[in-house]
Amino acid sequence: MSDMRDRYCIVGVGETPYTRNSGCTTRQLAVTALKHAMDDAGLGPDGIDGMLSYHGGDSTTSPAVSSDLGLRLNFYMDCSGGGSSTEALIGIARGVIEGGMCHTVAIFRAMNGYSEVRIGGTGARARATPRESQLLRMPYGWMSAGQNFAFTFMRHMMEYGTTSAQLAAVKVAGSKHASNNPKAFYKQRVTVDDVLASRWITKPLHLLDCCVETDNATCIIVTSAERARDLRQRPTHILGVVGRVSKPRADMHYVHGPITRVAGYYAAPMIFKMADVTHDDIDVTGCYDAFTFTTMLQMEEYGFCKKGEGGPFVASGALELGSKRPNNTSGGHLCEAYTHGMNLVIENVRQLRWQADDYCPNGEHTYDYSEGHCRQVREPKIAMNMAWANPATGSALIMRRG
Amino acid sequence: MAEYRGMQLQVAPNDLENQGYFEAARRHRLAMKACNACNRLRWEPGPGCPWCQSLTWHWQEVSGRGTIYSYQVVCQAIQTGFREWAPYPIVLVELDEQRGEPTADEALRVVMNLVDVSFAAEKQENVAIGKRVEVTFIDLDDFTLPQWRLAAEQPVSGLWQFPL
Repeated sequence: MSDMRDRYCIVGVGETPYTRNSGCTTRQLAVTALKHAMDDAGLGPDGIDGMLSYHGGDSTTSPAVSSDLGLRLNFYMDCSGGGSSTEALIGIARGVIEGGMCHTVAIFRAMNGYSEVRIGGTGARARATPRESQLLRMPYGWMSAGQNFAFTFMRHMMEYGTTSAQLAAVKVAGSKHASNNPKAFYKQRVTVDDVLASRWITKPLHLLDCCVETDNATCIIVTSAERARDLRQRPTHILGVVGRVSKPRADMHYVHGPITRVAGYYAAPMIFKMADVTHDDIDVTGCYDAFTFTTMLQMEEYGFCKKGEGGPFVASGALELGSKRPNNTSGGHLCEAYTHGMNLVIENVRQLRWQADDYCPNGEHTYDYSEGHCRQVREPKIAMNMAWANPATGSALIMRRG
Repeated sequence: MAEYRGMQLQVAPNDLENQGYFEAARRHRLAMKACNACNRLRWEPGPGCPWCQSLTWHWQEVSGRGTIYSYQVVCQAIQTGFREWAPYPIVLVELDEQRGEPTADEALRVVMNLVDVSFAAEKQENVAIGKRVEVTFIDLDDFTLPQWRLAAEQPVSGLWQFPL
């Protein structure tokens, strides 16, 4: 394997507002996020010649989006995918640039995840006629992401004594961070009791164990370290990336191995070796929080705590700003917005620029993490993302401040 | 074709992954795909053998008995046809056949609802990891849906239940 460590960078990030009624098409959302990322990077239409996106049959295409802003592409792919695709596509972008197919890639995800195709599964998807393997699922009322993952979550509680109250701390941390994020959809701080008092979706998941559903587009621009030097922002260097690492029998993850073992078990040794860093080097994390449980499970598998100790670990407050393992400092999917992962990478890019957008006066960070103030980690140099598609599949990314 | 909770249920003619399974269900039998080469059963039923890569298979009836390995209780249904049925349990059941094969943590784990004798959703106080279950069948117009129901057997090991 050629050593691509440090040779590629994220040079631009952008997003639309996070809402539940975008009132526009995914095409307009994507074009808006792309324009914001281009402006962030200081790139015009001639500066980007590659494009990647991912979708679940619910979004626009690269030809539409690139044409709308006058880009001529030498490479594009619109891939099928959901959570953990962001990191995988960052890896693909690095590869196609290395291969000479293009020099700069914009990656986007555009979705009306509340007003059109609801990510929680209600609406059009729930009305489909079951075909093929869906015949083993839909007639049992078993089809949403939460329902698909719940067996893993429940079994973790049985095997390790993990409790709902421990898991609620993931939401509490996210809500504290979101209260200092002007972009966040849910800015209200919540308590453990609030989570436990929220209605059941599918036991063991309360409503507040589940992420928010929103309309939005997000965009990240990747280019070589050489090109990055001349652009507007301090670059964020990619130290390592692994994409959609899977368990055996990924089609039905709960037939193979302990079902509480998730894809991070396989991804962790790859990503730490590739990036050549240790856990202690990492200053801020973005750990995919489709559900409170997904953050806890991945923290275990990536070795930030021992297997089985994820419950006490998250309940200790370790994930909060000012604590030892600040995680999802934007509020993440639980509170900022659900973007299928890209906002968690965008947040870490801004953290590594030391430019988290919060309520600090005059852009001077106060590191006062009380409500309505700062959410910038103190001078972070290395960030990690741990991304989740489902228990069987995930991605990881480690970046450093340029 | 059969109507069930607002869905049209039928197996497409080219759906060889599922056809034999639902044909067996029509006869009130639970069947798994078995590899012609290595004889291992597999679930879900796919066109290749995950253990020896053979592309030939036959359908093999199994006992239809097993143990609840994990479960959930759906309180807010996604599909409108399930709204009046909630709260309903979905259970992940380890079949008695091929437990711990080919490696210690593997098994044939089959997901269905847990229903009572009248095919209503089993009460959540009766659902627990470790309980013994057996297959039962809901006959619809032209389609039979397998389901789990509690078996009159003592559990092999201790039970675990999510706090009610």
